[in-house]
Amino acid sequence: MGERISSPRALLRGVPITIWMLCLVAVPLGYTLLISFFQVEGLQIAAKLTIKNYRQFFTDPMYSGILLKSILLSLAIAVLGILTGYPLAYMLSFRVRRGKQALFMLSIIPLWVSYLVRIIAWRTILGNKGVINSALTAIGLIQEPLSFLLYNRFAIAVTLTYICIPFVFIPVYTALEKIPRNIMEASSDLGAGEFRTFLNVVLPLSLPGLVTGFIFAFIIALGDYIIPQQLGGTQGIMFGNLIWSQFGFAFNWPFGAALSFILLAISVTILGLTSRFGSTEGGFLSE
Amino acid sequence: MSRARKRGFGLKAYGFFVYFFLYFPLLIVLVFSFSPTKTIVGISGITLKWYQELFRDQNLLAAFVHTLLIGAGAVGIAIVLGMAGAFFVSRVTFPGKSVFRTLVLLPYILPGILMGISILVVVKALNIPLSPFTVLLGHVSFTVPVVMFQIMSRIARMGPNYQAAAMDLGATPVQTFWYVTLPMIRTALIGAALLAFTVSFDEIVISYFLTGTWMTLPVYIYGMMRYGLSPKVYAISAIILVLSLALIMLMSRYTGRSAEVYRVRLRKD
Amino acid sequence: MSEENAIELRGVKKAWGDVIAVQAFDIGIRKGEFFSLLGPSGCGKTTTLRMIAGLEEPTGGQILLEGHDVSRVPAYRRNVHTVFQDYALFPHMTVRKNIWFPLKMRGVSLADARPRIDRVLRLVNMEGFERRLPQQLSGGQRQRIALARSLVDEPAALLLDEPLGALDFKLRGAMQKVLKDIQRDVGITFVYVTHDQTEALTMSDRIAVMKSGRVHQIGTPDEIYSRPATAFVASFIGEMNFLHGHRLPAEGEVPRAEVGGHRLRASRSTLTGTPAAGEEILVCIRTERVQVNSHRGTEHELQGTVRRIVYRGTDYEVTCDLAGQEVRAVVSAVDWNAVLHTGSPARLGFNSADITLFPGAEEKEIVQYSTEAV
Repeated sequence: MGERISSPRALLRGVPITIWMLCLVAVPLGYTLLISFFQVEGLQIAAKLTIKNYRQFFTDPMYSGILLKSILLSLAIAVLGILTGYPLAYMLSFRVRRGKQALFMLSIIPLWVSYLVRIIAWRTILGNKGVINSALTAIGLIQEPLSFLLYNRFAIAVTLTYICIPFVFIPVYTALEKIPRNIMEASSDLGAGEFRTFLNVVLPLSLPGLVTGFIFAFIIALGDYIIPQQLGGTQGIMFGNLIWSQFGFAFNWPFGAALSFILLAISVTILGLTSRFGSTEGGFLSE
Repeated sequence: MSRARKRGFGLKAYGFFVYFFLYFPLLIVLVFSFSPTKTIVGISGITLKWYQELFRDQNLLAAFVHTLLIGAGAVGIAIVLGMAGAFFVSRVTFPGKSVFRTLVLLPYILPGILMGISILVVVKALNIPLSPFTVLLGHVSFTVPVVMFQIMSRIARMGPNYQAAAMDLGATPVQTFWYVTLPMIRTALIGAALLAFTVSFDEIVISYFLTGTWMTLPVYIYGMMRYGLSPKVYAISAIILVLSLALIMLMSRYTGRSAEVYRVRLRKD
Repeated sequence: MSEENAIELRGVKKAWGDVIAVQAFDIGIRKGEFFSLLGPSGCGKTTTLRMIAGLEEPTGGQILLEGHDVSRVPAYRRNVHTVFQDYALFPHMTVRKNIWFPLKMRGVSLADARPRIDRVLRLVNMEGFERRLPQQLSGGQRQRIALARSLVDEPAALLLDEPLGALDFKLRGAMQKVLKDIQRDVGITFVYVTHDQTEALTMSDRIAVMKSGRVHQIGTPDEIYSRPATAFVASFIGEMNFLHGHRLPAEGEVPRAEVGGHRLRASRSTLTGTPAAGEEILVCIRTERVQVNSHRGTEHELQGTVRRIVYRGTDYEVTCDLAGQEVRAVVSAVDWNAVLHTGSPARLGFNSADITLFPGAEEKEIVQYSTEAV
């Protein structure tokens, strides 16, 4: 019954959602692509097709350099996210007996606390007069405030990792929970220690969740511009800022559209990897 | 045996460190909202000064109301479109379904900057001025996927085709929807609405691109962050913190597997 | 024919693009009849049922309910109800509310509906269960509530889509009797879809045997069993031997065939036209009709060798080799003498009254089914 297309009357039920999809997804993204081939003349956007924008991006090392920097930093953040989120999920899945539900909620809650609030918090912690510096000064460990904490890539990494941890946690936890416990018992029964069991059984079976978490973290980090802007200082310009500025001071919308589209292409490609190698369950929409 | 205990302890210790890492910043915000000074060292007592300033800030209060309005509107639209879309994708067969699903999901998983810019350029091209309407438009772009996918997940768990059974027994499509479909997805719908509202409430990126002078709360706070960090920010942050917590507690009653158990316990008719 | 029939299908067909699920055929189902649609999976029986219910729209032809053409009428306006295989009891409603549902859709208040609900609960022997939720019921109980729900507003006919498929063997047998009794007591027309031939044979007034969207035969259980219209029907019902043979010119009215050098007279034949030279046909005889070393005389006696003996409790299945072909015989345990063993010569006895001839081309339609419960 599955291969046959439903009746026209049934297909009609899809009209509202299709209209929504066209208006808010297909047309905007398509139009952005179109604009990326326009150019700026004076204060106007001229509708003359050109690949100038893309050429500018690929030839000018400043722009492509920023993209590369952003990708590398985002990869690092994704790795950090895995290093914090995965053990947490592992602990909750295999070590906790009672109160699992409560601890799960505890792991999810930061996700729903306002994004801006979390940024403000980290600015406060890392600043010159912030929590860390004040505490260290008060104890007497340092005389001058540590300036390397804020307004650089370190701050961006810490804060973005903080944001990403729940996004890594959820798919990993879901994947770990799906591993039948008797497989673990069988493994230890066959003589494998805890670590070997992890390496040979748990890790491979949880890989789809891990990949999903990694990719979510990567995309969030790559597309973010507020954190680099608030915490990155002068050396913390990421690709997101670059795009953003085209729509602000630089007023080069076609160029900004081209950059956006490049980001879109990267995101979609990587997301495509999720469905291939990762798991689509444990996405933050199903919990 | 003790070696295993030690190893287990190591992991648990790391786990608790991560929890600490997750919650310490939130604690800081709470503390600072009550502290008269900006440094933690000289905690010179508790004050409600910042909260008082907060409630005197008309613009902030207005922004808060705006956020609620946008949230209600975006969620309302999302419920209608999302429900229709969920049943359409779940029950009707048509070619290119997986592409369609991906396209619907896109606004939720793509970076906000992409969606914000894309909708902005279209809005500008159509000469629509930036207004509450454009902000609403932006929010509808991501609330619909949230609701739709939650409902789809519920439909998948629903089992037999109750709609067909209802129609077979004499219920018109409207009656089927009202007496059979709606009650069965009610909790999933509420959970989805809460989820969508939470996302909308906090949304900054898309809102920023599509807002004119009519601001939502996150846009207002963002402005505060860029142009001067009054401790008022901590106060409003603390309030948002508590609100989010309340919302997520509420949400957990309606989403996920745990919700089913909770509902069955309530049933008595 | 029209006035008597509760349900009539005229030239009804269903196709999805190029795939034809149901080829055009006619069926007339009489009022109060227990009518079964029998066939293997994918034969189109469920599709046909859904078309009668209105859950599927026919690509061609007409469907009449009590004389009215309902081909374009939606399901909720037809006076027939379906009992689904998964019961589809509304989980958010109690048993009482579930049963009330069809009446509620017709505007009957719960108070007015109460006596009818109670009556139908008594009918299915489920009194006292009004306040239960479907989750709290066993499979058989849900089955009966689903039945009650479909009967409460006295529809013109009840459509049942393999309703007993999810039940275990013993329970299924009990439920078959329950269904048959209810059908008889209420006098309502049943259209029953099943792939289980025993079920169809024991419960039905008439059966339509289907394969690949085609109706092969419509008849009473006895007609289907004793006088199958095609090789497929012969193979699907009961146990049948299909021997390869050649057609011989008939002796007057009596069809004749040659099998392994033996000349046999048959009593039934679906062969048409004049025999061609060396025409290959199927020579069929029921396994229980084959005599093995019996002292009862038979018209034809052929020599074979025993290959396998299987003890089945009430009988023995003896598989013999007859000139390179396999012949299965069923000997009841009562008649069994323990003389036979593997390799011993067997004297196979056929009576022409039990022999049917089918065209050789129908061989590919044959389905070999075992009557043993899995």
